[in-house]
Amino acid sequence: MSKFASKLTALACGAAMVSAIPFAAHAADKVITEWDLQTTASAVKVIRDAADRFEKANPGYKVEDTHILNDAYKTKIKIALGANEPPCVFSSWGGGPLREYVKANLVVDLTPYLDKDPAFKDRFLPASFGASTIDGKIYALPAENTAIAVVFYNKELFAKYNVTPPKTWDELLKVIDVFKQHDIAPFALANKNKWTGSMFYGYLVDRIGGPEAFANAAQRKNGGSFADPVFVEAGKRLQELVNAGAFQKGYNGLDYDVGGSRRLLYTEKAAMELMGTWEASTIGNENPDFAKKLGFFPFPSVPDGKGDPSDLLGTLGDNFISVSNACPEKDKAVELLKTLTDDTAAAGRVAGSRLPPLKNLKVDNPFLQDVSKLVSEAKSVQLWWDQELPPKLGELHKDTSQALFGLSKTPEQVAEEFEAAAKAELK
Amino acid sequence: MTDISTRSAGGGAGGTVLSLRKLAPVIFLAPAILLLAVYLLYPLVESFRLSLLDWNGLGTDARFVGLDNWKKLASDALFWRAARNNILLAVFSVLIQMPIAVVLAVVLDNAGRGSRILKILYFLPLLMSSVALGVLFKYFYDVNFGPLNALLDYVGLGYLAQDWLGDTRYALGAVIAVVCWQYIPFYMVLFMAGLASFPAEISEAAKLDGASESTIFWKMKLPHLRGTFRTAIVLSVIGALRYFDLIYVMTGGGPEGASELMATYMYRNVFSSFQLGYGSTVASAMFIIVILIASVLLRFSKRYETEI
Repeated sequence: MSKFASKLTALACGAAMVSAIPFAAHAADKVITEWDLQTTASAVKVIRDAADRFEKANPGYKVEDTHILNDAYKTKIKIALGANEPPCVFSSWGGGPLREYVKANLVVDLTPYLDKDPAFKDRFLPASFGASTIDGKIYALPAENTAIAVVFYNKELFAKYNVTPPKTWDELLKVIDVFKQHDIAPFALANKNKWTGSMFYGYLVDRIGGPEAFANAAQRKNGGSFADPVFVEAGKRLQELVNAGAFQKGYNGLDYDVGGSRRLLYTEKAAMELMGTWEASTIGNENPDFAKKLGFFPFPSVPDGKGDPSDLLGTLGDNFISVSNACPEKDKAVELLKTLTDDTAAAGRVAGSRLPPLKNLKVDNPFLQDVSKLVSEAKSVQLWWDQELPPKLGELHKDTSQALFGLSKTPEQVAEEFEAAAKAELK
Repeated sequence: MTDISTRSAGGGAGGTVLSLRKLAPVIFLAPAILLLAVYLLYPLVESFRLSLLDWNGLGTDARFVGLDNWKKLASDALFWRAARNNILLAVFSVLIQMPIAVVLAVVLDNAGRGSRILKILYFLPLLMSSVALGVLFKYFYDVNFGPLNALLDYVGLGYLAQDWLGDTRYALGAVIAVVCWQYIPFYMVLFMAGLASFPAEISEAAKLDGASESTIFWKMKLPHLRGTFRTAIVLSVIGALRYFDLIYVMTGGGPEGASELMATYMYRNVFSSFQLGYGSTVASAMFIIVILIASVLLRFSKRYETEI
């Protein structure tokens, strides 16, 4: 080692010591770790701002917020929880995966905290706790957005071919026929991801059998079963759409994440897409010109169906935030949860074109107003099936619905296969 | 290093020299062995242990189920389909990659100095990240906008245009083609190294004796490459049996499991279905299958063993 190098080392050591002094004052700071999957600038800012407010109100505490991309997040949070080294505050979608975490005793029960502060709790839409309530206890707060599946459509194309948004199944088939005749794919569908096609099946089951059909089968109550004729009928209707040519070529291989279906809408090769309401802001970012032509309508009714056409499939909350049991500062972490979902944070989310599931929310954006109206009129909002079901069944549901789209399994086969798996999994 | 040896040889009694000599390999090997033990041996043993559990990978409610997972695996049609896909990938990797790589290597070997730019060009696919390649080829194969179908249409072969990644019949083949394209350069370099060790005098002597270029290639160069072939085939087969990336990016194992591989199936079990126990069974079975096939391959090709 040369003299120069050793001098350099000495210098570096000195610098490290000097810089260590100001940190020493903060050494007593207790750190609350936070992980989420928000990666857009506005959503990240809402979280960081809330963290700043929390730090101000709670001197001696620091929030370390980490933002991770969707798919990587799913893997990372599962490993962290499994290794029992989770962050204090984390996001999930409620439903099946959250239930697994709760079963493993990894999540703090928020009910006592909420009971102590009814004014805070009553700000939320009551239905928004559905996805995070397990055995009557609340394990997560609905935070980010209201995302429901609706049919987006190109208003110009509809006007050009003189069709109106269909309210019933027969009207839908007519619309499909018109677009087919003009060589335009009625629906764009990117079903490599499978949850995209699952929305059709979920809605059909609701429209045919009402929300109880799925709820009873998934919760194994009131004699509910996935082999029920409702599920077979839903599969038949779905394959009726496939056979009517309702979807563009190659739907089972197209990737939603790289814009496979949206490109079809932009180029007017397809007229409609059944998708979550986040799609509006995605399109607004990707293609502002096209966004002006965009309209939406709820999924149509099915003849003789028991389901109310106002029923929705989606999530009130989108992301739900929880506190992990491994957190050394649980009470403070719950404080942070409340800051992350307070009125200031909600206003920030609304400014970013999101709709947190709160009562009396002030919204100027006409699109969000429409969504808000649909939600307030809905008799039931069913969480996405792949999130609601236990993970193993959620995977199987996605696989079998893709097989229905591929016409490689009959509705009867799918219903039986799924019921057999559900029987084994849900005891 | 020189420091230690001179010091120990110069000073000290004979005894310390001997024990230092004995100790030296241990000291030098220790880091590598430690790394292998922690990152290879331990996970291997651990995944066999996990394969005996019914566990979602969270918390403490793991249940010991003995060989139940293994029994389930034996009759799991999805797993065997995935294993069959792996074998298809291995077979086609060898059949497609080897001939093209050899031809490229021979051509570049004979082409002299001007071929340097070609060497770099041919090597490029190997330098690209699999994820970027996967996304690129997803666009390439796109049924509505992709250049492949457009090209087929343009040259009047429109009837050959297919839904490459969304049709259960073509998805696996479409990805295999990209995998081969990506790895041909690797084997090309391997064969080029093999050819470089072929003595130029011998081919000159053969030419003087009246041997044609093709005779030299078929009767002399190709036999010379036997050892390289062995290495290349073993590497290619093992790589194919544990393959994951492009399938995961391009098809996710779909549609309907048509392009599922053992590794993607394992990933799905552990991270999407929350079945860590069963996923570990798949991983362990994968390990056994790879070891079996690789050792059979090595055993039967033993007589071709050479340096490279």
